[in-house]
Amino acid sequence: MTLPAASIWLLASFLGGVALHADRLPFHYVLVAIVTCVWRALAEVRHDIRLPPAWLRGLLALALLAGVLIQYRTVNGLGPGTALLVSMGAVKLLETRGRRDRYIMVAVALFLMLSACLDRQSMVRAPFYLLLTWACCVSFIYIANPGIGLSTRQALRLTARALALSLPLALLLFVFFPRMAGQLWALPSQGSASTGLSDEMTPGGISALSESDEPAFRVRFFGAAPPPQLRYWRGPVLHKFDGYSWRRDRTQSYRSIKMNYGGNAYRYRMTLEPHQRNWLFALETPQLPPSPTTYFSYDSQLLSAQPVTQAMSYELTSYTETSSSDELSVLGRRTETSLPLDRNPRSNALARQLRVQSADTAGFIRSVLALFRDRGFTYTLTPELLQQDSVDDFIFNTREGFCGHYASAFVSMMRAAGVPARVVTGYQGGEWNPIGDYFIVRQSDAHAWAEVWLEGEGWRRVDPTAVVSPERLTRGLLDLLPDAGTQVQRFARSLAWVQNLRQGWDAANTWWNDNVAQFNARAQLSILRRLGFDSPRLRQLGWIAAAGLATWAFAMLLWLARRAPLQRPDLLGRGYRTLCAWAGRRGLARAPDEGPRGFASRLQREKPELAARAVPLLEEYAELRYGRTRDDERRERVRRWLTDVRRLRFAA
Amino acid sequence: MNPWRRIKQAWRERLASWVRKRQGADALPVTVRRQRLYILPTRAGVGLGALLLFMLLAGLNYGNNLALLATFLLMGFVLVGMNLCHRNLQDLRIVAATTRPGFAGEHGQLDLTLDAGGAQSRWAVRVACGAAHTQAGCIAGQGSARVELAVPTPRRGRQPIDRFELSTTFPFGLFRAWTWIHLPLAITVYPAARGTLPLPYGSDSQDQGQADAGQGSDEWSGMRPFRDGDSPRRVIWTAYARELPLLVKEYAGAAAEWLQLDFDALSGFDSERRLEQICRWILDADSRGARFALALPGARFPAESSAAHRERCLQALALWTTAGTQP
Repeated sequence: MTLPAASIWLLASFLGGVALHADRLPFHYVLVAIVTCVWRALAEVRHDIRLPPAWLRGLLALALLAGVLIQYRTVNGLGPGTALLVSMGAVKLLETRGRRDRYIMVAVALFLMLSACLDRQSMVRAPFYLLLTWACCVSFIYIANPGIGLSTRQALRLTARALALSLPLALLLFVFFPRMAGQLWALPSQGSASTGLSDEMTPGGISALSESDEPAFRVRFFGAAPPPQLRYWRGPVLHKFDGYSWRRDRTQSYRSIKMNYGGNAYRYRMTLEPHQRNWLFALETPQLPPSPTTYFSYDSQLLSAQPVTQAMSYELTSYTETSSSDELSVLGRRTETSLPLDRNPRSNALARQLRVQSADTAGFIRSVLALFRDRGFTYTLTPELLQQDSVDDFIFNTREGFCGHYASAFVSMMRAAGVPARVVTGYQGGEWNPIGDYFIVRQSDAHAWAEVWLEGEGWRRVDPTAVVSPERLTRGLLDLLPDAGTQVQRFARSLAWVQNLRQGWDAANTWWNDNVAQFNARAQLSILRRLGFDSPRLRQLGWIAAAGLATWAFAMLLWLARRAPLQRPDLLGRGYRTLCAWAGRRGLARAPDEGPRGFASRLQREKPELAARAVPLLEEYAELRYGRTRDDERRERVRRWLTDVRRLRFAA
Repeated sequence: MNPWRRIKQAWRERLASWVRKRQGADALPVTVRRQRLYILPTRAGVGLGALLLFMLLAGLNYGNNLALLATFLLMGFVLVGMNLCHRNLQDLRIVAATTRPGFAGEHGQLDLTLDAGGAQSRWAVRVACGAAHTQAGCIAGQGSARVELAVPTPRRGRQPIDRFELSTTFPFGLFRAWTWIHLPLAITVYPAARGTLPLPYGSDSQDQGQADAGQGSDEWSGMRPFRDGDSPRRVIWTAYARELPLLVKEYAGAAAEWLQLDFDALSGFDSERRLEQICRWILDADSRGARFALALPGARFPAESSAAHRERCLQALALWTTAGTQP
């Protein structure tokens, strides 16, 4: 006994829905789904395998529900909701009997696709969503018409045609269906691991920096882009030092500084990859926050009200020069000069000594930088681990490290001499993508530098790493250190076409994120404006969408009426009609009740001049249609016969 | 019957009478035109609609464009499916419709010949009449197919088929398109073949006949080659299976015996029981190949043994009323 088509497609749809979540869902849910699918299939094929009785199914459902509750502590939210959907779908599969149950299983598969869409909308995944939709549509055919005798190919073609016909409508509504500006209800955020920067930095505790190729964000400049040494993408600012680690103090804050902007203005659009944190990145300090849900913290860090769980875009304007004539508040000064009293005594003493030897703060900064430049410090991604007094150990012993070591030591020494300073983390540089006309900034571009308070000037950026390794700023990390990255990464970098392919792929993804994944009400209004509406309203979108729907429906009706769906008459039949029509035009039409042989004999009697040409063809038709011909021979004869029939028309 | 069902039933009847008035009576060949083709979503269709509404709301709420795209694509798919469903019946032709008689308490038959009515193939067309339904296989483009629907025949007489229904949920089961056909059709319902009385033999050969009957009706005395008009029941199929020619059993004295089936002679029963008994007798006599004559009040059929004679007599039984018979 074979599995009925309805069951095959049903199981395929459900498993497809589960597969969309396979990489995020805990593995045992995937396992449960696979096991129930196999069980179900075997129970239908073999009589000695039974589906579980009702009490066992109930128990299974309860156990799976309890499992979800224990694991997530809630059933609300995308992660637990999906897990619950998969479990209940699996149990439902074990009791699916009638047509109604089968439809419910398809609905479960579609729900799984919905939650996958809500989870991730990247370009690579879109074709899989489409495939799942297709499978669900095929299931509809076999569920509604069991034993219909439609071949898989026909069913696939029929649904593909229906989906292809609806594609224009989908695109039309996609562009013109009015979007909402806000949210009616919010999805609880999921506790998935964050990537990229954190609000803590422990340079001494890391012996090898990860060189992930993952993109952090992409930047498109409107107009000229700043040179590499100005591309500092400012992120979390760290204030609190315990001698070993830098942290961002969330409880403390001080009066923010009013800033003046000067120099070149750069306008640009950032597209952030989701990193599950609520900070945003910007070129230095932009003038204004980009949207009402974003704001500046007291230390001029750009923050979002919500964690960034989906790709997010915003436009900013930044200036190359900022200054401030404000005074740093007392609390601010205390915060930015505080150091643990009993840590790093040697470097603190050195800093105080250098300060005394310098005329002013700027001179002091220069002498500390000179220390890094002249005393044999090297830049490496695999430094030695540091002792508890990390700055002392770094400056007097190891003398090797990456950006975090230099920023940490530099700020520590500034503070030791009473100069307000803080560590700023973020990214530096970025790779130019000529295909998409934007910069891509990767996790491997992560950087740390310092900001020092200069009286009368405000916060000034100082990058001690640049002193040790000036190329770091212009060439990017992976270029700089030939042995950085994995073997595969290094090999890929050495091939130009791989590089091109990567950039093309990234450009396509960026286009997708900008124009598809993040298409919204604002983009709709700008389309309306381009279409010539002076003051575009969402209501006009509604009218356009309705008109489009009507036009599409009309076109679809015409299209379907024009073409006979599914089956066309066989070649032999069409040739026969051509032949009869040919005789009909010459004065002798075939009677509706006349067979080919009868028609042939009548032709011979009444129109002998036609008979010479037509009768052999009619005889051959009767033979091919009703006679016994071997299959391989027949195909060849049908082909020859058709050519002869076609030739009739061209002969005089 | 629960009240909801009763309301539904009443609603259906009103709808049916309205449709009957609107369409008028049909005559063969019937072409299913757009004007008489109705379409509504099935429960699965309504369910998918609700699911799509939910997807739309979720997509709008989260500004999730992929979910919206999938929703719009499925919306279009549903609309295309509706059109395909409608087109699966539109311009279908009913070129022949006949009925076959049945016995009371068993089934009669409605035979339809459906013509694709164009190049388009028709799939999964359902024919329903009352509670009885069946499904036609694929009707290939330019071709036709025969559908046989067994219709229950509870009572003797003429059972009119006021209307039957052609419907389809092809291709996706989300919509059901249907049409009602009102053709002047009726099934002749013979009485149930019931009764325990022995076969009554004609008066002129009574002695001989009874002697034969006493030897048992299953005994046969010889065989002869098949002739047209012989009952298939008398063919010796076992012999045919051994690749012998078609042979027919000959019963002892069957040629000589004939039966007089007389309605009035059956005293002591009500008329329905009498008809049932006569029906039983006709079937038994026919299976033995015996000649029989039938006498009903108002109609007489002289003794004969043929399939046509049997049908004539059974029809007379089916249509007999106390007022007289109108064959």
